[in-house]
Amino acid sequence: MTEEKKQTLALFYCQQTPESSEQERQCLEEKYERSIRLFPIPCGGRIEPLHFLRALEEFANAAYVIVCPEGECRYFEGNLRAKKRVQKTREIIESIGLEGNRIGILINPRENPKSLARLVDEIVCNASQLEPSRVLNLHHSPARPFH
Amino acid sequence: MIKTERVFMPAKYMIHTQIVPNRFRPLTKSGIIAWWEGCLGCRVCVKRQCVYGVYRNRDLDVRQMIDSMDNQCMNCLRCVQGCPRELIHKSINPEYEALGDSHWTPDIIAQLWNQAETGKIPVSGAGYSGPFSGPGFDSMWTDMSEIVRPTRDGIHGREYISTGIDLGGTPKHLAFTDSGDLESEPPSLVDMPLPIILRVPPFGSLSDNTIKGWAMGARELGTFLALPNEIIKGELLAFKKNLIPIISPCHPLLHDALEGVRLVEVPWGEKWKEITQKIKEAHPSVLISYRTPLVRGVEEKVLSIVNSGVSIIYLEGTSSGRVTDDNSIFIKDGIRQTHLALVDNGMRDEITILAGGGLAMAEHAAKSIICGADGVFIDFPILIALECRMCRRCTKGLPCPVEIDRAEASWVASRVTNLIGAWHNQLLEVMSAMGIRDVRRLRGETGRAMFYEDLDRSTFGSLGTLREGYELE
Repeated sequence: MTEEKKQTLALFYCQQTPESSEQERQCLEEKYERSIRLFPIPCGGRIEPLHFLRALEEFANAAYVIVCPEGECRYFEGNLRAKKRVQKTREIIESIGLEGNRIGILINPRENPKSLARLVDEIVCNASQLEPSRVLNLHHSPARPFH
Repeated sequence: MIKTERVFMPAKYMIHTQIVPNRFRPLTKSGIIAWWEGCLGCRVCVKRQCVYGVYRNRDLDVRQMIDSMDNQCMNCLRCVQGCPRELIHKSINPEYEALGDSHWTPDIIAQLWNQAETGKIPVSGAGYSGPFSGPGFDSMWTDMSEIVRPTRDGIHGREYISTGIDLGGTPKHLAFTDSGDLESEPPSLVDMPLPIILRVPPFGSLSDNTIKGWAMGARELGTFLALPNEIIKGELLAFKKNLIPIISPCHPLLHDALEGVRLVEVPWGEKWKEITQKIKEAHPSVLISYRTPLVRGVEEKVLSIVNSGVSIIYLEGTSSGRVTDDNSIFIKDGIRQTHLALVDNGMRDEITILAGGGLAMAEHAAKSIICGADGVFIDFPILIALECRMCRRCTKGLPCPVEIDRAEASWVASRVTNLIGAWHNQLLEVMSAMGIRDVRRLRGETGRAMFYEDLDRSTFGSLGTLREGYELE
């Protein structure tokens, strides 16, 4: 197994991302096996800091979200909201001593938007530089309420 | 002195269901996109007013990253309409839309999940919003001329409606000796209380517990589970009375597994006589069902099979409900033609027809019987009852998203019992509404149904056909 496949990555992606059907998702799961977990979301704006934090707490070394190009969100501001929430989450995890780049956002370029597979490749490449998360070695507490 | 006997009515066949919770949160059709930024902080926020407490009782299922907000929402859209800044949106859930395929649609899968969880018939309060007609079974409408009956008395009311069938052929006539004793051999029949037989599906993330759970469910329901002969061993041997071993010419016959079973399935092919002889020599009382693919013109083949002395035949369609060699023909048409050919030749009661392939809803069972089947096999519905999403990841070696292989046998059995309980109720409802009291009478009763193709032809056929490239003025 390669070093790249040892990483566990939580990847949220907007359903408007090009070539992001269930078939493509399964192809990526075959390629990366259990090293990535893909979660389609109706809009990038659906993501909340808690999604990232719970992913980091439970299983992920890093958590990323893929959103539409700026100005092209189907719900007008979803991608902008996601950007702010990623920033907010980074501040939270940095305050407890984790590296901020464990949380990330990838905005699909407006010119020549990339397919989900290409975006995932890029994210996996970035995330592979990270050390294994210290949080995952801590004792896991039972699931807590959302608030 | 007149000897009096207390006469007992036979016990009604009832399937007792109870709520069996899902192990994973089901995917829902729509999701809420709530944006907190820009909130005016109204004193009476629409989120606080939600009558279902969707926003108050939120939690996140980390395994699937499913928010309880989506599962609990009842789509009243009060929050969407009421927010003064219009911050709340609802959207179609992409994971829900990706469920299944064109035959096993997301709505069918979600209905089966609901039936397996509650054991009840799903009710849509907002009325039926779907198309009036469609392909396959959707082009059939069943007679509801006596709809008053289930409304008045309930489907489990005073009058008993029998869903029992007999498997096996019956002779054309009986012969008696001069002293009045029966001269001819009485027919060998297997009776079952409902016309639905379970079948292990062709794929799925299955474990020994899954198969055992289905067998437990079949025993509880009084029906059968058809499964490959070679996997009947260990704990499954205790369920043999409710198993149908499927014999494969590629595998040796396992006689231990056949001892005590009432029915076996053999593929119709070159070796059918040889296999039949081997089974009959060792297990003379067992009935044999012969499986043949449902193809165009299968009725000719069935007539010749009946002439060979076969008493049960299983017509197998594809998993999308079509005949195997023509994707444009639905199994309902194949079953109907076979039934009519047998009736025309005076052979219908000499054979039991079982049909299967792509039966996805309770109404499909009733409609198959109306088209001429005696009973039906269901395979994927019993897998979907275990929360299967028909994603087919298991066929690629990917992990099952709902870990079906890790489910307890008792949970599997209860889910299947619930599913069949709901289907049984729907069958009773259909029969009750058309005034039929016995499912044996429903067989081939096409007078109690309307077919879109027939209506279309009789209503508009005289107008001629529209040639391609021309438009009506």
